[in-house]
Amino acid sequence: MFPKLDPILHSELRLAVVSLLAGVESADFTYIKKQTGATAGNLSVQIDKLSSAGYITVEKGFKGKMPCTTCSLTPEGLEAFRKYVDALKEYISN
Amino acid sequence: MTANESLALITETLNNNRKEITRRGGKYFILWGILLTFFSLLVYILWKTTGHAYWNNIWFAMPLVGFPLARMIRSKEEPAGATNAVSRIISGIWTSFGVFACSVAAFTVIFTTLFDNPLAAIVLGASLTAEIVLLFGLAETISGVALRNWAIKIAGFVTGIGSVAIYFITGANEEQMLIFTLAGLVLAATGLIVKRQN
Repeated sequence: MFPKLDPILHSELRLAVVSLLAGVESADFTYIKKQTGATAGNLSVQIDKLSSAGYITVEKGFKGKMPCTTCSLTPEGLEAFRKYVDALKEYISN
Repeated sequence: MTANESLALITETLNNNRKEITRRGGKYFILWGILLTFFSLLVYILWKTTGHAYWNNIWFAMPLVGFPLARMIRSKEEPAGATNAVSRIISGIWTSFGVFACSVAAFTVIFTTLFDNPLAAIVLGASLTAEIVLLFGLAETISGVALRNWAIKIAGFVTGIGSVAIYFITGANEEQMLIFTLAGLVLAATGLIVKRQN
């Protein structure tokens, strides 16, 4: 029987955000927006969902005089991502 | 999304992210390469025309110009960015290089001028350039290892070891500044390679 895919991660944009954050210590909103090609509104919604699930932390601050939102993956998020990738591999190998 | 599409998305995102961070690193290689070339030529010309080695003190102006410029480039980057272990290591390598190079140069100058230390005077006149350029090549090669980029690894080795070999051939005079010019050009060229590769 196939393992169930995490519904939080099984969405194109949320998966892209978590994949990106898995490779960095932290990334700011503008960087994530550029790398994923998402609109600001959509990205904001998906980041809120990931944050509510406890997969990422969101810190709002300032860089100079400009507001800056920085995101990073939590240990729970990393574990969920690892399990998601393992599940995908199982799907593909079978 | 199918499983294959999900994995493809993950792979693409991770790869693009790594390339972007590497590409940004390329800018700093170009900046420091240009500065190294400029300062080495400046010292070379002044040393050759006046015959005084004290023009070497101009080197201390390089970090004073370079660090604010690097800071300005970073602040103008759109989007501002991300940090990962690799970018932190690269930053650490070059900061360490700057601290080591400035410190060894400063100590050599202080021991020579203030304490009349004969050994320091020999180092200042004979091997300081070789020591710094060797540190420089080592820093560049380790950067190449961190960035998994063969062009940078090889450029660092060629710059460090090759420059020492050239130094042994040309000897200790103002011509040794041209070794730094070569190192600066190699550094700027590797920066361009990194940017183009990504």
